[in-house]
Amino acid sequence: MADDPKQTLTFITRSAPYGSTRPQLCLDMALATAVFEQDVNYIFLGDGVYQLLKGQNGESIHAKTLGKALETLDLYGIENVFVTADTLESRNLSEEDLLLDVQVIDNKTLQQLLAKSHTVFNI
Amino acid sequence: MSTLHTINGSPTSALAQQFLAAISSGDAVLFLEDGVYHTQSQFLPAPLPENVKLYGLREDCTARAVLEKVDAKVNLINYADFVALSCEHDRVISWF
Repeated sequence: MADDPKQTLTFITRSAPYGSTRPQLCLDMALATAVFEQDVNYIFLGDGVYQLLKGQNGESIHAKTLGKALETLDLYGIENVFVTADTLESRNLSEEDLLLDVQVIDNKTLQQLLAKSHTVFNI
Repeated sequence: MSTLHTINGSPTSALAQQFLAAISSGDAVLFLEDGVYHTQSQFLPAPLPENVKLYGLREDCTARAVLEKVDAKVNLINYADFVALSCEHDRVISWF
């Protein structure tokens, strides 16, 4: 498995956008991985879904607007972007609140994605 | 194709809700660092799928004075066992 030239790497981002550097680190790792033409899954879980809210503007707190940075996922060819239905529901959010076209999945599908991944980064 | 999930936060941390969604039947769960507070019977993660083995890092349980209260469903292991457990699974997912 480790000898395959192409690996499936899954990134789970679990933190809200401006409270820590974790979301930016996760994004940087995923983009770097995509450059090396690996299969990438990008999953927003828990408070990580707050990164996807439309209308963010980090300028008011002198921070980069992470929502804008997330648009680079598509530019780097990362199309497998997911959020779990539980995550949305527990935060009273719907797909219309989100700035990216993400696939809403159930927990069973989440488990299947993880089981098919060679490596999972969870931050 | 099983996964070892390492749990690094206490039962009241946000990740306690998140890791449950990601655990499949046949996976293993290891409680370490502040995660060892999960090892008491009333704080064990639930509901878990069938056939999920639970482990606790003995050193971290000892340090945090929870060793005497560890539930019988939790297998206490040392660092060498932790390494072996990591090798036995296809991947490790770290919840911290």
